[in-house]
Amino acid sequence: MSTTFLPCSVYHENYAQDHGWWQTTFITGKMILLAVVLLGVIPYFADMYSLSVCNQIGYTILGALGVQLLIGFCGQVTLGHAAFIAVGAYTSTLLILEFPWPKILITAGLAYPISILVAAIVAGLWSVLFGLPSARVKGFYLILTTMAAQFITVDFIITQYVSQIGGRGQAFSLPPGTIKIGPWVIDNDLKVYYLMLVLVIICVIGIINLLRSRSGRAWVAIRDNDISAEVMGINVVWYKLMAFFVAGFIGGIAGSFWISNLAAISPEHFPWFWSLWLVGVILIGGVGSIHGTVFGSIFMVVVIELLQLAVIPLADIYPKLLIDFLFIKEAAFGLAICAFMIFEPNGLAYRWWQMKNYFNLWPFSY
Amino acid sequence: MQHGDKIDVSGSDVSKELTIPKLFYEKALQYGENRVAMREKEFGIWRPITWGKYLENVKHIALGLISLGLEEGDKVSMIGDNRPEGLWAEIATLCARGIGVWLFQDCLMDEVRYIVDHSDTKFLFGEGQEEVDKAISIFHECPKLKKIIWDDPKGMRHYDEDYLISLKEVMELGKALEKEKPDLFEETIDKGHGDEVALLFYTSGTTSLPKGALLSHHNMLTMGKHLMAVDPCRDTDDYVSYLPFAWIGEQMMSISCGLQVGYTLNFPEEPGTAQENIREIGPHVMFAPPRLYEQMTRTVQVKYLDATWIKRKFYELSNKIGYHVANLKFGKQSIPWYWKFLEWLAEISVQKKLKDHLGLSRVRNAYTGGAAMGPDHFRFFHAMGVNLKQIYGQTEVAGISVVHRDGDIKFDTVGHPIRGTEIMITEDGEIITKSPSVFLGYYKNPEATEKALRDGWLYSDDKGFIDEDGHLVVFDRTKDVFTLRNGKPFSPQYLETRLKFSPYIRDSWVIGDKRDYVTAVLCIDYSVVGKWADEKKITYTSYPELSQKSEVYELVEEQIRQANKDLPEEAKVSKFANLYKELDPDDEELTRTRKLRRGFVEKRYEDIVNALYGDTDMVHIDTTIKYEDGRQSNIKTDLQIRNVKE
Repeated sequence: MSTTFLPCSVYHENYAQDHGWWQTTFITGKMILLAVVLLGVIPYFADMYSLSVCNQIGYTILGALGVQLLIGFCGQVTLGHAAFIAVGAYTSTLLILEFPWPKILITAGLAYPISILVAAIVAGLWSVLFGLPSARVKGFYLILTTMAAQFITVDFIITQYVSQIGGRGQAFSLPPGTIKIGPWVIDNDLKVYYLMLVLVIICVIGIINLLRSRSGRAWVAIRDNDISAEVMGINVVWYKLMAFFVAGFIGGIAGSFWISNLAAISPEHFPWFWSLWLVGVILIGGVGSIHGTVFGSIFMVVVIELLQLAVIPLADIYPKLLIDFLFIKEAAFGLAICAFMIFEPNGLAYRWWQMKNYFNLWPFSY
Repeated sequence: MQHGDKIDVSGSDVSKELTIPKLFYEKALQYGENRVAMREKEFGIWRPITWGKYLENVKHIALGLISLGLEEGDKVSMIGDNRPEGLWAEIATLCARGIGVWLFQDCLMDEVRYIVDHSDTKFLFGEGQEEVDKAISIFHECPKLKKIIWDDPKGMRHYDEDYLISLKEVMELGKALEKEKPDLFEETIDKGHGDEVALLFYTSGTTSLPKGALLSHHNMLTMGKHLMAVDPCRDTDDYVSYLPFAWIGEQMMSISCGLQVGYTLNFPEEPGTAQENIREIGPHVMFAPPRLYEQMTRTVQVKYLDATWIKRKFYELSNKIGYHVANLKFGKQSIPWYWKFLEWLAEISVQKKLKDHLGLSRVRNAYTGGAAMGPDHFRFFHAMGVNLKQIYGQTEVAGISVVHRDGDIKFDTVGHPIRGTEIMITEDGEIITKSPSVFLGYYKNPEATEKALRDGWLYSDDKGFIDEDGHLVVFDRTKDVFTLRNGKPFSPQYLETRLKFSPYIRDSWVIGDKRDYVTAVLCIDYSVVGKWADEKKITYTSYPELSQKSEVYELVEEQIRQANKDLPEEAKVSKFANLYKELDPDDEELTRTRKLRRGFVEKRYEDIVNALYGDTDMVHIDTTIKYEDGRQSNIKTDLQIRNVKE
């Protein structure tokens, strides 16, 4: 799906060029346009509500990237990804609130950036721990072991023990001004938006680069057929665990990013449904496609927001709708998955690919 | 008898001292490691080979050949795909003062034996196992053949004949000799003179055994120089070399022009991927026989038929605009601004993309030659905005002598002679040529030489005339011109190319010389008609069966009606038959450059011809066909004869 359509007279004299990202000026132009929209148009024109929707999209992308990597590229079905996001969020929060930072680091505003990195690593290692069963089990059984990650981590360890640290009870509140990078205090949606943009871009670039490396090819080989991959000399367990680490790492980044948008965090922010939701995102976006992750995230967030906008006026007539919104949302989610499975099983990314093909093959059909 | 229109006379400006090796050496030193001389697609990427590397390889092969015993004037044959090693071998042969002979890769064993034996070949370069097998089986019949050199090791492990040697070993020998005599290579090159024979070309005659045309360095270089004077190329240009080197057209682009300009040659990954590879490279200049352009046209027509409604409408509209503008240009009329605007719209909406699909988006000059090209095809490319030009020439003038000039293109002519070339028409209407590129003679065939070369004039055996604008019009081979029932001469090729403009017809053979009416034998295009049949739910299992389906006959009849339009009544095809097989050079029905061998097919398909001029509507066929590997099989079938209704 990802092979680039090259116009006539674009050719490569070495493999580096062959794997290059922006092989034509058209693509470069497209990317510049995208940058202008993301960095200029949206921040300038969007109101705070739209920005918060964008941030929600960014968070979903960061979360879904890891799931996409595991399911879409390595074939390891996971239903416990929210656990690693939670680990990231909690690690970051605890580091900021409880860690005895040297004064100099706090004044320099380095606590949060450092905590993001640590959170990512901790979440990655935590993910590897729950990825260990993947050495032995596959398919449905692996789904169950990853679900175990969810329940052990969030419902047991975090709720019962981690949340008790510092004696705050259930929620950790994040006092204003604690989340800052250098002198830059992240205290409104626009700043969160910029942070989101930077992290999403770094993670997407990182993942795409990994995918075109040896590891990426190994993952795809394992996804397609783990036995042949092993026969070809790929250390299957090592690469599976590596996929879990990278997925957890990005989950950790997602978690510690998300605390910048929250006043307080509690285990309810990371329910099992969120894990399922992220799988839904990649199913709708397209399994095995980075584009798909982005499209799926945009689609899911925007649809839910639109649904909310639709429900609010209706609630005047039938107030119970507002209370039932959570269930409406879940029903809509289920319906969307069903519809996509039936009508667009390859996801939005496939539709995008077909649209591009329509014009690439112009004026023919093949 | 030599009178007629003189078109252009001027002297040659290539020094008689200059040889291909001298030019090559100079260019290689000039460009060195900084420029890419050639690329070959391998494992998905275009591996570049610099001029420095090119020189080094050629040097080692040349010295290797010398240490194997190559002497001045010895013949070295080459057979294989277009690839860097093939070209190195050729240039190395010339550098070592040998004479190069190229064979068509798909030559059958007998042809290989004939050419290798007749040319007194001493060394034979084969590409890999296939060519080596051919060479081994003829080795003992060609006593002058000393060594067979191969370069592709695939499948070669168990060959231990002592007359086999790999290219690597030859290069090792060359390296050893270089250590011993470091200046030998340069000295050998310096000894060369422009009048010496460089290449020996076996022309795939439509009638008799191949004749070997001797071309000197000077022939090749002047021809290239004069063509480049008409349409200059730049050293930054790309050219794709994929047509057989045994064809003079490819030699002229790769060597005569290529060395003088210094553009980059690109070799496709496999012969089968050539079309795709051309698209990747997007050459600036190309020269191909009409059949390749016909193939492109067919591709476009078929894809158009399969496109969705909106795409088809866009295509049709831009096509209409394209044809209108092209007709204005052909008529040398000025184009009104609104047509220019429409042309621009057509260009950005459809034609640009169309050219991109065909790999023609960078083409400045596309040439066609070697056979007649139908006006329909010719206009088709001009309507698309491709600057397609006709070339007229033959192996005996080292390639070309006449070409269209920019802005002065007429689709039924071949243009004006290039510099230094004089063209005249004899009283019988034969085209004769005089130029510094006219060949030295046929190898070991003084009678043929005498016939072709008289007083320095080359007799082409082609009929033609010069029109009011001074353009040369090539009518047809003298012996191929028809006399219709009203006594008028008529070119069957004209009708054949018209028929071939239909995507459903791959080959056509028109009959009708001194007969009451004109008939045609047609070969359907298996893939296109096959697809059409699939859509119509017509079942078939093979080419012979499909070709005889009555629905297919109706389809073909419709195509003939199209081609018959605007033809005089006497020249219209009134009866036809679909042949049960495609015409094939292996059956000697076509030459290796895919020209129809009329005399041969008329004899071979005598039954069909008789049936076409009799009153039966069915002819029984019982014949043998030859496969590429030499196997034969028997075919028994009934062929329908059908009248073309008005």
